[in-house]
Amino acid sequence: MIRYIIKRLLYLIPVILCVSFLIFALMDLTPGTVVDSMIPSDATPEMVEEIYAQYDLDKPMVYRYAKYMLQFVQGDLGKSDISGENILRMYLDRLPNTLLLAVSSLFVAAVLAIPMGIRAARHAGTLTDNLTTVATLVGMSMPSFWLGLLLLFLFSFKLRLFPASGNDGFLSYILPAVCNGLTMMAGTTRQTRAAMLEILHADFLRTARSKGVPEKRVIWKHALGNAMIPILTTLGSNLSSSLAGSVVIESVFAWPGVGRLTAEAIMSRDVKLACGAVIMTTILYVIMQLIVDLAYAFVDPRIKARYIRTRKTRRKAA
Amino acid sequence: MLFAKKKKIAPTAGYEEKDSDYVLEVRDLVVHYELENETVKAVNQISFQLKKGETLGLVGETGAGKTSTALAILNLVPDPPGVIKNGEILVNGKDVRSMSPMELEKVRGKDISIIFQDPMTSLNPVMTVGEQIAESIFLHEDVTRAESFEKAREMLEMVGIPGARADEYPHQFSGGMKQRVVIAIALACNPRCLLADEPTTALDVTIQAQVLDMMNDLKMRLGTSLVMITHDLGVIASICDTVAVMYAGQIVEYGTLEDVFNQPMHPYTEGLFNSLPSMNHKEGKLKPIPGYMPDPTKLPEGCAFAPRCRYATKDCSKPLKPRYVSDTHYVLCDAYDNPQFHIELQRGGEACE
Repeated sequence: MIRYIIKRLLYLIPVILCVSFLIFALMDLTPGTVVDSMIPSDATPEMVEEIYAQYDLDKPMVYRYAKYMLQFVQGDLGKSDISGENILRMYLDRLPNTLLLAVSSLFVAAVLAIPMGIRAARHAGTLTDNLTTVATLVGMSMPSFWLGLLLLFLFSFKLRLFPASGNDGFLSYILPAVCNGLTMMAGTTRQTRAAMLEILHADFLRTARSKGVPEKRVIWKHALGNAMIPILTTLGSNLSSSLAGSVVIESVFAWPGVGRLTAEAIMSRDVKLACGAVIMTTILYVIMQLIVDLAYAFVDPRIKARYIRTRKTRRKAA
Repeated sequence: MLFAKKKKIAPTAGYEEKDSDYVLEVRDLVVHYELENETVKAVNQISFQLKKGETLGLVGETGAGKTSTALAILNLVPDPPGVIKNGEILVNGKDVRSMSPMELEKVRGKDISIIFQDPMTSLNPVMTVGEQIAESIFLHEDVTRAESFEKAREMLEMVGIPGARADEYPHQFSGGMKQRVVIAIALACNPRCLLADEPTTALDVTIQAQVLDMMNDLKMRLGTSLVMITHDLGVIASICDTVAVMYAGQIVEYGTLEDVFNQPMHPYTEGLFNSLPSMNHKEGKLKPIPGYMPDPTKLPEGCAFAPRCRYATKDCSKPLKPRYVSDTHYVLCDAYDNPQFHIELQRGGEACE
């Protein structure tokens, strides 16, 4: 198991290399640089050249990239070109907000989606099922910024129940979490329904019922236990993408998370900040996926056996 | 003799006596599967009884309604599309059809339990076998969780699996071992009646014999009544006291093992024996019953076997009368209206010896 984790973490290296190179190259290809706004309108060509040289803009992109990566492998993400602040610090300051939002919206999604999906599957083809299908379809096709604006309009401006923006206190979490959670919920509900539909006809549920297991336990323990893998996959990838920070939701609710940090860095051509943020997000994303994969092993002993068997067979061969 | 009331063990419709010494009584059971544009008549008016410690063999080909009967006894017919249209199913004198879900949960696994056909799919892949056995014990007996696990280990030992393997998952067991686990689950709470739905069909022959021996042994030790559902006459011969031959959802012949094996009366039973390979007639070809089971959505009028029966006459499309040829031997065939009628069993009986 530990070997597996180490192997998966080693995959991070090529991923980080690709991702950072891509963001560097893309930002280099787009017109405009970070210094454009710093150059006074009456600057002489010499002055401009001097500022360019200060930021290595006179050298090829590969040079800047290599210099950045050299710094990075020493564990230094550098300083922002604009504010001069430590990038790692900036990122870590924002991260708790994003984490909280991601986890609470995951909670909203799981608590609503799993019972709804199970209900729809158990009553497949009935009105309940059809209503759920329509609701999830709406949820999936509704853009999250629009849902966010609707929620804001209703609960902040009309009912004045929750603050409209920013992050102060528990109440301000609710609207962004619900908005993000509802968006996640739609897909998860469908996934739960599909997974449960397949399991509900399984022979082992009949065995469980024949033992006198109460129906509730048949569904929640025997059936759901076997339907967890696809549900975990959906929830996991939803969680990963909210960890990257949902730019849209963070913008609508003026939420100080890492998504907005990254977006603002890209807008202002702050290459180092953008690259740093993207690398951090990549690391988080990969770790999240690893956790989901490891969670499979806890849900399904057959998958666990696969991780462990590699070790056993190796010992046998030795 | 004139006053003696005939003690019938056989599937009569509408008899009065209420015997509570039966562990299981099924009366006039009808199970349909109601699909969108047709109705599958899986079980049509069957009745039988089972005493304590007795073993009944339910034999018939695929689609005869054997499994539907077993599921109906536990009120587990998948609904939709399955419906129990009619009948009484008395387990220890109580009708399972009128039980509340709570009462049913108490009866299932405790008074009556079932061994399903396919051990590969009958076990929950994400629970340890110990958990799956203990679950039943914990639900039905007044024990702590730890005690139920202890008992689960004992059950495993009883079916010949080391108790230490209780913490393993079904995928770590072979097919025969899984079937033993399924049997251990079914027997965990010492049920008074056990339904075994083709328990050996999915296993290879050597394992079949082991499992049958084990079931026979457990039956003797625990005094369990057993309904053995199978299409294998060999299994019937080795384990059953009485035999019910099912065809198209009806019991066409019913009697003690000796009645049915030594003196089969129904042409279908004859056909079953004729299609067995025999040690004494190696040179002969097997004689399968011609044709197929009738479509259960369109059962013929009268005798359902008539289209395949070599003795069939035009009278066979009339409604059938149940008939007792002896106190214990019942047959559903109107050819016996003619006292001269008898079937010409060519090579029957060997399977019994």
